Amino acid sequence: MAMEHFTTAVEGAFTILSEHVNGASSGALHTSRKQALDVLREVGVPTTRHEEWKYTNLAPILANDFLPAIGPTVPVTRTILDGLALSDLDAWHIVLVNGVMQPSLSNLPDADPDIQIEELSDETSAGTIAAATTNPFVAVNATLMSGGVSIRIRANAVVDRPIHVRSIVQTDVGATLCTPRIVMQVGAHASCTLVETHHTVGRSKGLTAGVTEIDCAEGSSVAYTKILDDGENGHHIGTTAVNIARAAKATATTACLDGTFVRNDLVMRLNEPTAEAYLYGVSVLNGSQLADNHTVVDHRVPHCHSEELYKGLYDGRSVGVFNGKIFVREDAQKTTAYQSNHSLLLSDNAVVNAKPQLEIWADDVKCSHGATSGQLDPEAIFYLQSRGIGKDEARGLLTYAFAAEVAEHVAHDEVREHLERRIAEKLGARRFDH
Amino acid sequence: MTTTPLLQITDLHAGIEDREILKGISLTVNAGEVHAIMGPNGSGKSTMASVLAGREDYQVTGGTISLNGKDILEMSPEDRAREGVFMAFQYPVEIPGVSTANFVKTAVQEMRKHRGLPPLEPAAFLALMREKMKLVEMEQQFLSRSLNEGFSGGEKKRNEIFQMAMLEPALAILDETDSGLDIDALRIVAEGVNALRSKDNAVVVITHYQRLLNYIVPDFVHVLWNGRIVRSGGKELAYELEEKGYDWIKNESPAEV
Ligand SMILES: Nc1ncnc2c1ncn2[C@@H]1O[C@H](COP(=O)(O)OP(=O)(O)OP(=O)(O)O)[C@@H](O)[C@H]1O
Ligand SMILES: [Mg+2]
Repeated sequence: MAMEHFTTAVEGAFTILSEHVNGASSGALHTSRKQALDVLREVGVPTTRHEEWKYTNLAPILANDFLPAIGPTVPVTRTILDGLALSDLDAWHIVLVNGVMQPSLSNLPDADPDIQIEELSDETSAGTIAAATTNPFVAVNATLMSGGVSIRIRANAVVDRPIHVRSIVQTDVGATLCTPRIVMQVGAHASCTLVETHHTVGRSKGLTAGVTEIDCAEGSSVAYTKILDDGENGHHIGTTAVNIARAAKATATTACLDGTFVRNDLVMRLNEPTAEAYLYGVSVLNGSQLADNHTVVDHRVPHCHSEELYKGLYDGRSVGVFNGKIFVREDAQKTTAYQSNHSLLLSDNAVVNAKPQLEIWADDVKCSHGATSGQLDPEAIFYLQSRGIGKDEARGLLTYAFAAEVAEHVAHDEVREHLERRIAEKLGARRFDH
Repeated sequence: MTTTPLLQITDLHAGIEDREILKGISLTVNAGEVHAIMGPNGSGKSTMASVLAGREDYQVTGGTISLNGKDILEMSPEDRAREGVFMAFQYPVEIPGVSTANFVKTAVQEMRKHRGLPPLEPAAFLALMREKMKLVEMEQQFLSRSLNEGFSGGEKKRNEIFQMAMLEPALAILDETDSGLDIDALRIVAEGVNALRSKDNAVVVITHYQRLLNYIVPDFVHVLWNGRIVRSGGKELAYELEEKGYDWIKNESPAEV
């Protein structure tokens, strides 16, 4: 019931959007919207019978009757923005409200030849990296995609200042769905840092169906950090797709720190030899929070390398899901691909469902995966105690250390420190370096 | 003149579930002394060390342990450590995500807090760490590495003695700290231990080999067998064991009841 209602609401919003495209109905953007809607109608909203949604039931989420919104329903003030995470990060800040870029609230480079930031249009590309074909929420996003952001980094540019996209779903008028789209194209041999944060602002519940597309051209280096640290009203279903060219290196770190419901689909495609992909994830949950991370590492060609480390710490009645697929195609000889996934259950009522899925069609490869789930090692607790560290403190320190092992892969100091601080806060744990 | 012994164990019985492992151990260690504990595999040496350090896996079913006259049996492992008990682990634990430096810093500051001392300033702390690392000839790089993770067997053992040097315990129990060490490392570790000895502290070394005792010369040697101390003597007992093995002692000792 809720499921059909959701699709109908998206269709309704699409119809309204169609009325406002002003003759651009044959433009690239609107054509892809129409195609995406067809896909959504065909695949529908998944139930737990769907293999990719086995452990994550959407029905109770969609029962909130989210209505799509494109652009602000009421103005978002600076004061609100300043209260959100990482607002003081020394970065280029791009603010999206209900999916639409707000230049007046953003801090954009005016005349930097290295960085070009603009609203998505028929002229900018979208949907080539994350195509709306099978994933229903990519289709939802593509159906309503409007006002998102295109970021282009010039070839050979070294952009030290991070680019921070802050996507806000504004819910004062009622339960709201927003569909932000971020498209980043990084030129050959360029390097940059992209940080993505999501926030629900307003009295009602918010659902974000976001899509981020990143193209890493030859020899480029991209550090991408996505932080889900929303309030109780926050619900997030997001896809990030990354294409990695020859000798390029992409690092994606996904942190699920707060918010009621999070589903991330991360797809990293190694498209040319010597491409490298690094995937890190950490989820720190409590209460009845749920975080579901699905990752795909697609080795399509020989001589590529990937490393993946996902960790989860689950307290209360929280639920963690991890599904990590690694595809090594027939041609992808000399692939090295490593995956590990470790969970710490901090309460008897927390649950984790973890599934590594390696599909290897090439024979000359080095691939491994390891998964563990359990409690803190009592031997480690005793070791700390035997050096005079109290038991509770030992537990706290070990718990923090478990999570911090992921955060340490974030190269940007300020972003990493922010993550470490938030992890410690959420765990209520003291850190070793005090 | 009567002085309170640093460590007094009286008729200690301990085990796991229904199985008694320590079957009545008595041992007195005075400040300034070195005791060696030897004995065949599985005789209960590590169990004794663990019970002293307060490992909760073992149930103490009888007897007493006191440190400087204070009963420590009811104390948590951390409180025992704060009172001056230190066990160098036979198998030091690997702890990913925790750097050696931060771990040692946390431990030292906890100890200082317990002793009513102000926390050490970062510069003073670093200087102290450098000095103590030199003592066991450990390289600086170990400080920033995760505790024991990927350390070789010998590096782990040196790290234990480095921690001992930092914490300055009253009673150090070294559980097979010599095993896995090459000849040079053995000398370095032993010299490190000797440098830490004083008239106020004591060392209990658990070992299988006489060669460690050439460096750390014991005042007393005890043989633990089947959960009991079946023979005690001076340092010459270790030579005798090296020569004759344990059979002669087993034959002279009462069989299990
Ligand atoms: N946690 C435990 N669970 C079950 N049995 C145990 C446990 N700890 C010790 N034991 C048993 O108690 C006996 C004594 O073990 P302990 O480790 O103390 O011997 P040890 O003298 O240190 O031997 P080694 O010289 O091989 O180190 C052994 O038979 C051992 O299997
Ligand atoms: Mg032993």
